[in-house]
Amino acid sequence: MKADARAPAGETVEALDARVPFRFPREMVVSLLVLAIAWEILSKFAPPFVVPSWGRIARSLMTLRADFVAITLVRVAGALVLSFVLGLGLAIAMYLSTPIERYGRPVVRLLMAVPVVCWILFAVLWFKWVEVRIAFVLIVVCGPVFLVDFLDGMRAVPKDLRDMLWSFRPTRVQLFAKLILPATLPVILTSWKINLSLAIRVVTIAELVGAVTGIGYGLVVAQELFSVAEVFAWTLVLVAILFVAEAVVSRIEERALRWRV
Amino acid sequence: MTVAEAIEVSGLRKTFHQAGTGAAVLAIERLDFVIRRGEMVAIVGQTGCGKSTFLNLLIGLDRPSAGRIAIDGKTPYDDFASFRGRLAAVFQQDRLLPWRSAVDNVRLPLELLGYERGEQLERARTWLERLGLERFAGAYPHELSGGMRQRVALARAFALQPGLLLADEAFGHLDEVTSAALRQTFVEIARREGNTAVLVTHQLEEAIEMGDRILVFAKPARLLADISLRRWPSAELPGLRAMIQRMLQTNEPDPEIRRREETSR
Repeated sequence: MKADARAPAGETVEALDARVPFRFPREMVVSLLVLAIAWEILSKFAPPFVVPSWGRIARSLMTLRADFVAITLVRVAGALVLSFVLGLGLAIAMYLSTPIERYGRPVVRLLMAVPVVCWILFAVLWFKWVEVRIAFVLIVVCGPVFLVDFLDGMRAVPKDLRDMLWSFRPTRVQLFAKLILPATLPVILTSWKINLSLAIRVVTIAELVGAVTGIGYGLVVAQELFSVAEVFAWTLVLVAILFVAEAVVSRIEERALRWRV
Repeated sequence: MTVAEAIEVSGLRKTFHQAGTGAAVLAIERLDFVIRRGEMVAIVGQTGCGKSTFLNLLIGLDRPSAGRIAIDGKTPYDDFASFRGRLAAVFQQDRLLPWRSAVDNVRLPLELLGYERGEQLERARTWLERLGLERFAGAYPHELSGGMRQRVALARAFALQPGLLLADEAFGHLDEVTSAALRQTFVEIARREGNTAVLVTHQLEEAIEMGDRILVFAKPARLLADISLRRWPSAELPGLRAMIQRMLQTNEPDPEIRRREETSR
């Protein structure tokens, strides 16, 4: 037997052991520190417009516009929520209707095959407003990823579990709420992780073209002013946003999927 | 509340079509029998003889190709929703939802039926206690042993207090000690609750131990024998066991069993 008498009522030894205390990420800190030191050494020998020192980058960081960061984050968050809702809705429609899936799949494949740069060009050609352009690009890039992941996740729900639940005669809504969605949750969270990093990269490129706010625009300005330190500073901000966003999703994942072995 | 069901099976036939080739595979050739209320009926047969297919038809997961299967006059497939809360199944694998704790798995059918949360929890905890799992109510399935998980699955079925209980090789994959204990628990509770029970098994011992009646299926499924165990004194059970084994090997009815069953009717 896996559970034994050491566990208090309602809990097992494994559940208690699962509460691992916080572990300092030593390896990550060490490797990043080594990289930072190497960079600093390199900056002593290379000209500042090629490899700026950490001091220069830090000074540039202080001058960056915080509102640009906030604007980019709002754009990413808004577009991801919209993509998620659209992706989930269409995936459920495809799951429930074979004709919708048969006709819809090729369209989704086509959308996914179009390079991001082409979408940005289409957005510039088709839409007048910058916010619409950016939202369009993000949704058309991230939406299909959510859709395909959800659909595959729903299809992967074991037939055994579906038959078990079906034997209790649930309504269709109950089948989704009690089985399909919880079973697909790991896929949904992985999809969020993928789309977060994808969206942050795509929004920056989209902001390079036509936007007058946001991190992408900040990068364009820095490049036009030949301020390499500022380009690096913006890059650091983007990397930090990605790290934090992934850490947040991982934390949610840890809590939501604590039932996993 | 327990309303036991009567099951009528007449001219039942089921064929499947193989994916790709489209070739028809006969799973159930023809079945005709009746299961009375409160009976505990064991179905035995070779592996792949259509026992589980029959159970799926009984649960309403699949539609017969021909003939009829009815519980209290209603067909489980066509009158699907009318069986809400009236039947529960225990399968070979526990089929617990891995993201739900033991108590949450047990209360699942009650949740689907719209019971108030307090009542769901109370009933679920009562059944876990009756099956000796009160200390593990908060444990996730992966934290429990195979036997404990199967007990949770049994608690889930019993918590619904259904009229009809179906078990598909529910004890076969466990070690003998655990399996025997669970079989005993199942029979005790099912009798106390007055359930009609249909048990599919490939283990003859299990069928003889648990059933009031044994239906022996040929491969593909047709009825080789319908044996009422109360007509067979324990001294004659070894002989009966040998006759059933012979039937399963030859795929033909046994004249001695047929004569005996017909005489006693």
